[in-house]
Amino acid sequence: MFKTIKEVLRTGNATVKYPFAPLERPQDVRGKPEHNHVKCMVCSACAVACPPNAIQTPLDMREGTKTWSINYGRCVFCGRCEEVCPSKAIRLGTEFELAVMTKEDMEELCVYHLQACTQCGSHFAPAKQVAYVARILAQGKDTNTAAQKLEYAKVCPKCKQKYDVQRLMEQSKEEGEWLC
Amino acid sequence: MAVLIDHEYPSRLQYKLDRITLDESIIKAKSALLNSIKRSVYLYRIDCGGCNGCEIEIFSTITPVFDAERFGIKNTPSPRHADILIYTGSLTRSMRMPALRAWQGAPDPKLVVSYGACGCTGGIFHDNYCVWGGTDQLFPVDVYVPGCPPTPAQTIYGFAMALGLLEQKLQRSTSAELPGELAPLPFEAIPYKVRTAIERKARVLSGYRSGKDMSNEFMAALESGGEDALISIQALISEASDPRKREVLTELKTELCALTASMEACYEQQ
Ligand code: SF4
Ligand code: SF4
Ligand code: SF4
Repeated sequence: MFKTIKEVLRTGNATVKYPFAPLERPQDVRGKPEHNHVKCMVCSACAVACPPNAIQTPLDMREGTKTWSINYGRCVFCGRCEEVCPSKAIRLGTEFELAVMTKEDMEELCVYHLQACTQCGSHFAPAKQVAYVARILAQGKDTNTAAQKLEYAKVCPKCKQKYDVQRLMEQSKEEGEWLC
Repeated sequence: MAVLIDHEYPSRLQYKLDRITLDESIIKAKSALLNSIKRSVYLYRIDCGGCNGCEIEIFSTITPVFDAERFGIKNTPSPRHADILIYTGSLTRSMRMPALRAWQGAPDPKLVVSYGACGCTGGIFHDNYCVWGGTDQLFPVDVYVPGCPPTPAQTIYGFAMALGLLEQKLQRSTSAELPGELAPLPFEAIPYKVRTAIERKARVLSGYRSGKDMSNEFMAALESGGEDALISIQALISEASDPRKREVLTELKTELCALTASMEACYEQQ
Protein backbone atom coordinates (compact mmCIF):
# COMPACT_ATOMS: atom_id res chain seq x y z
CA MET A 1 0.00 0.00 0.00
CA PHE A 2 2.69 2.50 1.08
CA LYS A 3 4.82 1.26 -1.76
CA THR A 4 2.03 2.04 -4.22
CA ILE A 5 1.45 5.52 -2.80
CA LYS A 6 5.16 6.21 -2.89
CA GLU A 7 5.30 5.07 -6.50
CA VAL A 8 2.33 7.29 -7.38
CA LEU A 9 3.96 10.31 -5.76
CA ARG A 10 7.24 9.59 -7.49
CA THR A 11 5.65 9.25 -10.92
CA GLY A 12 3.50 12.39 -10.65
CA ASN A 13 0.66 13.32 -12.97
CA ALA A 14 0.95 12.12 -16.55
CA THR A 15 -2.25 13.70 -17.87
CA VAL A 16 -1.87 16.78 -20.06
CA LYS A 17 -3.78 19.92 -19.05
CA TYR A 18 -5.35 20.37 -22.47
CA PRO A 19 -8.09 21.67 -23.13
CA PHE A 20 -7.81 23.89 -20.02
CA ALA A 21 -4.29 25.01 -20.96
CA PRO A 22 -2.70 25.26 -24.42
CA LEU A 23 -1.06 22.10 -25.66
CA GLU A 24 2.68 22.13 -26.30
CA ARG A 25 3.47 20.92 -29.78
CA PRO A 26 6.78 20.40 -31.56
CA GLN A 27 7.56 22.82 -34.43
CA ASP A 28 7.50 20.23 -37.19
CA VAL A 29 4.27 18.49 -36.27
CA ARG A 30 1.85 17.90 -39.16
CA GLY A 31 -0.93 20.39 -38.51
CA LYS A 32 -3.22 22.45 -40.69
CA PRO A 33 -1.74 23.39 -44.08
CA GLU A 34 -1.45 27.19 -44.00
CA HIS A 35 -1.94 28.78 -47.39
CA ASN A 36 -0.51 32.22 -48.08
CA HIS A 37 -2.71 33.53 -50.87
CA VAL A 38 -0.39 36.42 -51.75
CA LYS A 39 2.62 34.16 -52.32
CA CYS A 40 0.52 31.62 -54.25
CA MET A 41 0.49 31.89 -58.05
CA VAL A 42 -2.14 29.16 -58.63
CA CYS A 43 0.16 26.85 -60.56
CA SER A 44 -1.93 23.87 -59.33
CA ALA A 45 1.14 21.78 -58.49
CA CYS A 46 -0.36 21.16 -55.05
CA ALA A 47 -3.73 20.17 -56.52
CA VAL A 48 -2.02 17.59 -58.73
CA ALA A 49 0.06 16.23 -55.84
CA CYS A 50 -2.70 16.15 -53.20
CA PRO A 51 -3.58 12.43 -52.79
CA PRO A 52 -7.23 12.82 -51.67
CA ASN A 53 -7.93 15.90 -53.85
CA ALA A 54 -8.41 18.10 -50.80
CA ILE A 55 -6.92 20.94 -52.83
CA GLN A 56 -8.72 21.63 -56.08
CA THR A 57 -8.28 24.43 -58.57
CA PRO A 58 -11.35 24.55 -60.80
CA LEU A 59 -11.19 26.84 -63.83
CA ASP A 60 -13.99 29.09 -64.98
CA MET A 61 -13.06 30.02 -68.55
CA ARG A 62 -16.14 32.18 -69.09
CA GLU A 63 -15.50 34.33 -66.02
CA GLY A 64 -11.75 34.12 -66.53
CA THR A 65 -11.02 32.90 -63.00
CA LYS A 66 -9.25 30.05 -61.31
CA THR A 67 -10.26 29.22 -57.74
CA TRP A 68 -7.81 27.70 -55.29
CA SER A 69 -9.75 25.72 -52.72
CA ILE A 70 -8.92 23.41 -49.87
CA ASN A 71 -11.20 21.22 -47.82
CA TYR A 72 -9.66 20.52 -44.41
CA GLY A 73 -12.19 17.76 -43.91
CA ARG A 74 -10.54 15.79 -46.67
CA CYS A 75 -6.90 16.65 -46.03
CA VAL A 76 -4.79 13.76 -44.73
CA PHE A 77 -1.93 16.03 -43.54
CA CYS A 78 0.66 14.32 -45.72
CA GLY A 79 2.62 17.46 -46.64
CA ARG A 80 2.79 16.70 -50.36
CA CYS A 81 1.47 20.20 -51.14
CA GLU A 82 4.29 21.76 -49.15
CA GLU A 83 6.79 19.52 -50.88
CA VAL A 84 5.82 20.54 -54.41
CA CYS A 85 4.99 24.24 -53.97
CA PRO A 86 7.51 26.25 -56.02
CA SER A 87 6.77 29.60 -54.39
CA LYS A 88 6.73 28.45 -50.75
CA ALA A 89 3.10 29.47 -50.42
CA ILE A 90 1.82 26.51 -48.41
CA ARG A 91 3.29 25.00 -45.28
CA LEU A 92 1.96 22.63 -42.65
CA GLY A 93 1.55 24.61 -39.43
CA THR A 94 0.93 23.47 -35.87
CA GLU A 95 -2.78 24.33 -35.72
CA PHE A 96 -4.86 21.27 -34.85
CA GLU A 97 -8.17 22.64 -33.52
CA LEU A 98 -10.07 22.02 -36.71
CA ALA A 99 -13.35 20.46 -35.55
CA VAL A 100 -16.47 22.25 -36.84
CA MET A 101 -20.24 22.10 -36.47
CA THR A 102 -21.07 22.84 -40.12
CA LYS A 103 -19.38 21.25 -43.06
CA GLU A 104 -18.95 24.47 -45.05
CA ASP A 105 -16.59 25.86 -42.40
CA MET A 106 -13.95 23.35 -43.40
CA GLU A 107 -13.49 24.98 -46.79
CA GLU A 108 -11.20 27.81 -47.76
CA LEU A 109 -11.34 29.50 -51.16
CA CYS A 110 -9.37 32.11 -53.02
CA VAL A 111 -10.28 33.42 -56.47
CA TYR A 112 -7.57 34.42 -58.96
CA HIS A 113 -7.78 35.97 -62.43
CA LEU A 114 -6.66 34.41 -65.67
CA GLN A 115 -4.48 36.22 -68.18
CA ALA A 116 -6.21 37.16 -71.41
CA CYS A 117 -4.03 36.74 -74.51
CA THR A 118 -2.99 40.12 -75.89
CA GLN A 119 -3.54 38.85 -79.46
CA CYS A 120 -6.75 36.82 -79.45
CA GLY A 121 -8.21 37.70 -76.04
CA SER A 122 -8.77 34.14 -74.82
CA HIS A 123 -7.82 33.18 -71.27
CA PHE A 124 -4.93 30.75 -71.02
CA ALA A 125 -3.09 30.83 -67.65
CA PRO A 126 -3.34 32.59 -64.28
CA ALA A 127 -2.10 36.19 -64.54
CA LYS A 128 0.09 35.81 -61.46
CA GLN A 129 1.78 32.74 -62.90
CA VAL A 130 2.48 34.53 -66.20
CA ALA A 131 4.05 37.46 -64.34
CA TYR A 132 6.10 35.09 -62.16
CA VAL A 133 7.50 33.22 -65.16
CA ALA A 134 8.25 36.47 -67.01
CA ARG A 135 10.22 37.74 -64.02
CA ILE A 136 12.28 34.54 -63.88
CA LEU A 137 12.96 34.78 -67.63
CA ALA A 138 13.96 38.43 -67.17
CA GLN A 139 16.86 37.31 -64.96
CA GLY A 140 18.52 35.65 -67.98
CA LYS A 141 20.92 37.68 -70.07
CA ASP A 142 19.86 38.16 -73.71
CA THR A 143 18.75 40.89 -76.08
CA ASN A 144 15.12 41.22 -74.90
CA THR A 145 14.33 43.55 -72.01
CA ALA A 146 12.21 42.54 -69.03
CA ALA A 147 9.23 44.53 -70.33
CA GLN A 148 9.47 42.82 -73.72
CA LYS A 149 9.59 39.42 -72.05
CA LEU A 150 6.47 40.19 -70.05
CA GLU A 151 4.72 41.21 -73.29
CA TYR A 152 5.74 37.95 -74.98
CA ALA A 153 4.62 35.93 -71.97
CA LYS A 154 1.14 37.43 -72.26
CA VAL A 155 0.55 35.73 -75.64
CA CYS A 156 -1.28 32.40 -75.58
CA PRO A 157 0.46 29.24 -76.91
CA LYS A 158 -1.83 29.09 -79.98
CA CYS A 159 -0.99 32.63 -81.06
CA LYS A 160 2.70 31.95 -80.44
CA GLN A 161 2.52 28.91 -82.72
CA LYS A 162 0.78 30.93 -85.42
CA TYR A 163 3.39 33.66 -85.14
CA ASP A 164 6.24 31.13 -85.32
CA VAL A 165 4.83 29.53 -88.47
CA GLN A 166 4.43 32.95 -90.11
CA ARG A 167 8.00 33.84 -89.24
CA LEU A 168 9.29 30.55 -90.61
CA MET A 169 7.41 31.03 -93.89
CA GLU A 170 8.72 34.56 -94.29
CA GLN A 171 12.22 33.40 -93.56
CA SER A 172 12.10 30.54 -96.03
CA LYS A 173 10.63 32.84 -98.72
CA GLU A 174 13.51 35.23 -98.20
CA GLU A 175 15.98 32.41 -98.51
CA GLY A 176 14.14 31.17 -101.59
CA GLU A 177 13.43 27.65 -100.39
CA TRP A 178 10.14 26.12 -99.20
CA LEU A 179 9.83 23.94 -96.20
CA CYS A 180 7.94 20.77 -96.86
CA MET B 1 -17.33 21.44 -54.95
CA ALA B 2 -16.58 20.38 -58.46
CA VAL B 3 -16.74 16.64 -59.06
CA LEU B 4 -13.49 15.48 -60.60
CA ILE B 5 -14.59 12.27 -62.25
CA ASP B 6 -17.91 12.41 -64.00
CA HIS B 7 -19.06 8.96 -65.04
CA GLU B 8 -22.21 10.23 -66.68
CA TYR B 9 -24.31 7.23 -65.76
CA PRO B 10 -28.03 7.90 -66.14
CA SER B 11 -29.34 8.92 -62.73
CA ARG B 12 -32.12 6.26 -62.79
CA LEU B 13 -29.33 3.65 -62.66
CA GLN B 14 -27.66 5.30 -59.69
CA TYR B 15 -28.81 4.35 -56.24
CA LYS B 16 -29.29 7.35 -54.02
CA LEU B 17 -29.08 7.20 -50.24
CA ASP B 18 -32.22 8.16 -48.36
CA ARG B 19 -30.87 10.74 -45.99
CA ILE B 20 -32.50 10.58 -42.58
CA THR B 21 -34.14 13.79 -41.38
CA LEU B 22 -35.00 14.57 -37.79
CA ASP B 23 -38.42 15.45 -36.36
CA GLU B 24 -39.05 18.92 -34.94
CA SER B 25 -39.34 17.55 -31.40
CA ILE B 26 -36.04 15.70 -31.64
CA ILE B 27 -34.26 18.79 -32.98
CA LYS B 28 -35.63 20.78 -30.02
CA ALA B 29 -34.58 18.11 -27.52
CA LYS B 30 -31.18 17.97 -29.13
CA SER B 31 -30.54 21.69 -28.87
CA ALA B 32 -31.63 21.53 -25.21
CA LEU B 33 -29.21 18.64 -24.75
CA LEU B 34 -26.41 20.58 -26.45
CA ASN B 35 -26.98 23.45 -24.03
CA SER B 36 -27.10 21.43 -20.86
CA ILE B 37 -24.78 18.53 -21.58
CA LYS B 38 -21.57 19.14 -19.68
CA ARG B 39 -20.37 15.87 -18.30
CA SER B 40 -20.86 12.15 -18.24
CA VAL B 41 -21.54 11.30 -21.85
CA TYR B 42 -21.29 7.82 -23.18
CA LEU B 43 -19.87 7.10 -26.60
CA TYR B 44 -20.46 4.34 -29.04
CA ARG B 45 -18.08 3.97 -31.93
CA ILE B 46 -18.96 2.51 -35.32
CA ASP B 47 -16.30 1.76 -37.92
CA CYS B 48 -17.94 2.20 -41.31
CA GLY B 49 -15.05 1.16 -43.48
CA GLY B 50 -11.96 3.12 -42.54
CA CYS B 51 -8.42 1.88 -42.18
CA ASN B 52 -8.70 1.39 -38.38
CA GLY B 53 -6.29 4.29 -37.74
CA CYS B 54 -9.13 6.34 -36.29
CA GLU B 55 -10.07 3.59 -33.81
CA ILE B 56 -6.51 3.44 -32.55
CA GLU B 57 -6.50 7.19 -31.97
CA ILE B 58 -9.86 7.04 -30.15
CA PHE B 59 -8.36 4.48 -27.80
CA SER B 60 -5.25 6.58 -27.28
CA THR B 61 -7.58 9.42 -26.31
CA ILE B 62 -8.80 7.40 -23.32
CA THR B 63 -5.28 6.56 -22.14
CA PRO B 64 -3.99 8.31 -18.97
CA VAL B 65 -2.08 10.94 -20.97
CA PHE B 66 -5.13 12.47 -22.60
CA ASP B 67 -7.67 10.90 -20.30
CA ALA B 68 -11.03 11.69 -21.85
CA GLU B 69 -12.67 10.10 -18.80
CA ARG B 70 -11.92 13.19 -16.72
CA PHE B 71 -14.84 14.80 -18.61
CA GLY B 72 -16.95 11.76 -17.87
CA ILE B 73 -16.62 10.56 -21.45
CA LYS B 74 -16.86 6.81 -21.49
CA ASN B 75 -16.77 4.25 -24.24
CA THR B 76 -19.75 1.87 -24.09
CA PRO B 77 -20.09 -1.49 -25.77
CA SER B 78 -23.70 -0.93 -26.82
CA PRO B 79 -25.45 1.85 -28.76
CA ARG B 80 -28.38 1.60 -26.34
CA HIS B 81 -26.31 3.32 -23.65
CA ALA B 82 -24.83 5.96 -25.94
CA ASP B 83 -25.34 9.72 -26.01
CA ILE B 84 -22.80 10.27 -28.75
CA LEU B 85 -22.34 8.06 -31.78
CA ILE B 86 -18.93 8.29 -33.40
CA TYR B 87 -18.83 7.24 -37.01
CA THR B 88 -15.39 6.61 -38.46
CA GLY B 89 -14.67 5.51 -42.00
CA SER B 90 -16.06 6.63 -45.31
CA LEU B 91 -19.37 4.75 -45.03
CA THR B 92 -19.07 1.84 -47.42
CA ARG B 93 -22.07 0.30 -49.09
CA SER B 94 -21.95 -2.82 -46.96
CA MET B 95 -21.81 -0.81 -43.72
CA ARG B 96 -24.98 1.17 -44.45
CA MET B 97 -27.29 -1.23 -42.60
CA PRO B 98 -25.08 -1.68 -39.50
CA ALA B 99 -24.65 2.11 -39.35
CA LEU B 100 -28.42 2.56 -39.51
CA ARG B 101 -29.03 -0.11 -36.87
CA ALA B 102 -26.65 1.57 -34.45
CA TRP B 103 -28.31 4.93 -35.12
CA GLN B 104 -31.77 3.49 -34.52
CA GLY B 105 -30.55 1.65 -31.44
CA ALA B 106 -29.29 4.76 -29.66
CA PRO B 107 -31.93 6.64 -27.64
CA ASP B 108 -32.94 10.16 -28.72
CA PRO B 109 -31.68 12.85 -28.39
CA LYS B 110 -28.25 11.74 -29.51
CA LEU B 111 -25.29 13.51 -31.07
CA VAL B 112 -23.56 12.20 -34.18
CA VAL B 113 -19.86 12.84 -34.65
CA SER B 114 -18.16 12.34 -38.02
CA TYR B 115 -14.67 11.27 -37.12
CA GLY B 116 -11.62 11.53 -39.37
CA ALA B 117 -11.18 12.66 -42.94
CA CYS B 118 -13.12 9.58 -44.06
CA GLY B 119 -16.10 10.34 -41.84
CA CYS B 120 -16.14 14.02 -42.85
CA THR B 121 -15.91 13.78 -46.63
CA GLY B 122 -14.77 10.30 -47.61
CA GLY B 123 -11.13 11.31 -47.17
CA ILE B 124 -8.53 9.37 -49.08
CA PHE B 125 -11.21 6.87 -50.20
CA HIS B 126 -13.61 9.55 -51.47
CA ASP B 127 -13.65 8.39 -55.10
CA ASN B 128 -13.77 4.67 -54.45
CA TYR B 129 -16.62 2.78 -56.13
CA CYS B 130 -18.04 1.34 -52.94
CA VAL B 131 -18.17 4.34 -50.61
CA TRP B 132 -20.91 6.87 -50.03
CA GLY B 133 -18.39 9.49 -48.99
CA GLY B 134 -18.96 10.49 -45.39
CA THR B 135 -21.43 10.02 -42.57
CA ASP B 136 -23.45 13.12 -43.46
CA GLN B 137 -24.73 11.39 -46.61
CA LEU B 138 -26.88 9.23 -44.32
CA PHE B 139 -27.46 11.11 -41.04
CA PRO B 140 -27.54 14.69 -39.86
CA VAL B 141 -24.09 15.22 -38.28
CA ASP B 142 -23.44 17.53 -35.31
CA VAL B 143 -19.65 17.68 -35.09
CA TYR B 144 -17.04 17.02 -37.76
CA VAL B 145 -13.55 16.13 -36.51
CA PRO B 146 -11.08 16.27 -39.41
CA GLY B 147 -7.69 14.58 -39.39
CA CYS B 148 -6.30 11.35 -40.75
CA PRO B 149 -6.42 10.16 -38.06
CA PRO B 150 -7.30 13.02 -35.70
CA THR B 151 -4.69 13.14 -32.92
CA PRO B 152 -5.92 12.64 -29.33
CA ALA B 153 -5.71 16.42 -28.81
CA GLN B 154 -7.81 17.01 -31.93
CA THR B 155 -10.32 14.46 -30.64
CA ILE B 156 -10.53 16.10 -27.23
CA TYR B 157 -11.05 19.44 -28.93
CA GLY B 158 -13.94 17.92 -30.91
CA PHE B 159 -15.54 16.52 -27.74
CA ALA B 160 -14.96 19.77 -25.85
CA MET B 161 -16.69 21.61 -28.66
CA ALA B 162 -19.62 19.19 -28.65
CA LEU B 163 -19.92 19.64 -24.87
CA GLY B 164 -19.76 23.43 -25.16
CA LEU B 165 -16.43 23.79 -23.34
CA LEU B 166 -14.58 25.33 -26.28
CA GLU B 167 -15.58 27.50 -29.23
CA GLN B 168 -15.24 26.58 -32.88
CA LYS B 169 -12.13 28.16 -34.39
CA LEU B 170 -12.14 27.30 -38.08
CA GLN B 171 -14.44 29.43 -40.23
CA ARG B 172 -15.17 29.30 -43.94
CA SER B 173 -12.97 31.83 -45.66
CA THR B 174 -13.30 33.26 -49.13
CA SER B 175 -10.79 35.72 -50.51
CA ALA B 176 -9.90 37.10 -53.90
CA GLU B 177 -6.73 38.23 -55.60
CA LEU B 178 -6.17 41.99 -55.33
CA PRO B 179 -5.69 43.84 -58.63
CA GLY B 180 -2.03 43.96 -59.63
CA GLU B 181 -1.00 41.51 -56.91
CA LEU B 182 2.34 39.78 -57.64
CA ALA B 183 3.66 36.58 -56.13
CA PRO B 184 7.05 37.44 -54.60
CA LEU B 185 9.96 35.81 -56.38
CA PRO B 186 12.01 34.09 -53.67
CA PHE B 187 15.59 35.44 -53.48
CA GLU B 188 15.36 37.53 -56.61
CA ALA B 189 19.01 38.64 -56.42
CA ILE B 190 20.25 35.05 -56.76
CA PRO B 191 20.25 33.60 -60.31
CA TYR B 192 17.41 31.13 -60.81
CA LYS B 193 19.74 28.27 -61.74
CA VAL B 194 21.87 28.71 -58.62
CA ARG B 195 18.81 28.91 -56.39
CA THR B 196 17.17 25.77 -57.78
CA ALA B 197 20.44 23.83 -57.70
CA ILE B 198 20.96 24.69 -54.03
CA GLU B 199 17.34 23.92 -53.15
CA ARG B 200 17.58 20.58 -54.91
CA LYS B 201 20.81 19.67 -53.16
CA ALA B 202 19.38 20.60 -49.76
CA ARG B 203 16.30 18.51 -50.44
CA VAL B 204 18.37 15.50 -51.44
CA LEU B 205 20.43 15.84 -48.27
CA SER B 206 17.73 16.38 -45.67
CA GLY B 207 14.25 16.12 -47.09
CA TYR B 208 11.74 18.69 -48.26
CA ARG B 209 10.95 20.33 -44.96
CA SER B 210 14.26 20.85 -43.16
CA GLY B 211 16.00 20.96 -46.52
CA LYS B 212 13.83 23.92 -47.50
CA ASP B 213 14.40 25.60 -44.13
CA MET B 214 18.16 25.21 -44.45
CA SER B 215 18.36 26.33 -48.07
CA ASN B 216 16.27 29.39 -47.12
CA GLU B 217 18.73 30.28 -44.35
CA PHE B 218 21.64 29.64 -46.68
CA MET B 219 20.29 31.87 -49.42
CA ALA B 220 19.32 34.62 -47.00
CA ALA B 221 22.96 34.66 -45.87
CA LEU B 222 24.12 34.58 -49.49
CA GLU B 223 21.86 37.48 -50.45
CA SER B 224 22.65 39.66 -47.42
CA GLY B 225 26.39 38.96 -47.63
CA GLY B 226 26.85 40.78 -50.94
CA GLU B 227 30.58 40.79 -51.79
CA ASP B 228 31.43 38.88 -48.62
CA ALA B 229 28.83 36.18 -49.16
CA LEU B 230 31.22 33.34 -48.39
CA ILE B 231 32.14 34.93 -45.05
CA SER B 232 28.50 35.29 -43.98
CA ILE B 233 27.86 31.69 -45.05
CA GLN B 234 30.85 30.56 -43.00
CA ALA B 235 29.44 32.49 -40.03
CA LEU B 236 26.10 30.69 -40.52
CA ILE B 237 27.89 27.34 -40.54
CA SER B 238 29.86 28.00 -37.37
CA GLU B 239 26.72 29.30 -35.60
CA ALA B 240 24.83 26.05 -36.25
CA SER B 241 24.83 23.90 -33.12
CA ASP B 242 23.45 20.76 -34.77
CA PRO B 243 26.30 18.84 -36.47
CA ARG B 244 23.89 17.52 -39.13
CA LYS B 245 22.95 21.07 -40.05
CA ARG B 246 26.63 22.05 -40.22
CA GLU B 247 27.26 19.12 -42.54
CA VAL B 248 24.42 20.06 -44.89
CA LEU B 249 25.36 23.75 -44.95
CA THR B 250 28.98 22.86 -45.72
CA GLU B 251 27.81 20.65 -48.59
CA LEU B 252 25.69 23.53 -49.90
CA LYS B 253 28.71 25.84 -49.74
CA THR B 254 30.77 23.34 -51.76
CA GLU B 255 27.92 23.13 -54.27
CA LEU B 256 27.79 26.91 -54.53
CA CYS B 257 31.55 27.18 -55.13
CA ALA B 258 31.39 24.49 -57.83
CA LEU B 259 28.46 26.29 -59.47
CA THR B 260 30.12 29.69 -59.50
CA ALA B 261 33.37 28.18 -60.81
CA SER B 262 31.55 26.49 -63.70
CA MET B 263 29.59 29.67 -64.45
CA GLU B 264 32.76 31.77 -64.53
CA ALA B 265 34.34 29.26 -66.90
CA CYS B 266 31.23 29.53 -69.04
CA TYR B 267 31.43 33.33 -69.18
CA GLU B 268 35.12 33.22 -70.03
CA GLN B 269 34.41 30.91 -72.95
CA GLN B 270 31.80 33.32 -74.24
S1 SF4 C 1 1.73 24.74 -55.45
FE1 SF4 C 1 1.96 26.62 -54.21
S2 SF4 C 1 1.91 28.30 -55.71
FE2 SF4 C 1 1.12 26.47 -56.77
S3 SF4 C 1 -1.11 26.61 -56.47
FE3 SF4 C 1 -0.33 25.36 -54.77
S4 SF4 C 1 0.02 26.82 -53.10
FE4 SF4 C 1 -0.19 28.03 -54.98
S1 SF4 D 1 -1.32 17.95 -46.62
FE1 SF4 D 1 -1.65 16.36 -48.18
S2 SF4 D 1 -3.86 16.00 -48.17
FE2 SF4 D 1 -3.53 17.92 -47.06
S3 SF4 D 1 -3.80 19.49 -48.62
FE3 SF4 D 1 -1.60 19.03 -48.55
S4 SF4 D 1 -1.30 17.44 -50.15
FE4 SF4 D 1 -3.51 17.54 -49.71
S1 SF4 E 1 -9.59 9.14 -41.63
FE1 SF4 E 1 -7.57 8.30 -42.12
S2 SF4 E 1 -7.01 7.16 -40.26
FE2 SF4 E 1 -9.22 7.52 -40.13
S3 SF4 E 1 -10.14 5.68 -41.04
FE3 SF4 E 1 -9.91 7.20 -42.69
S4 SF4 E 1 -7.97 6.71 -43.67
FE4 SF4 E 1 -7.98 5.69 -41.66
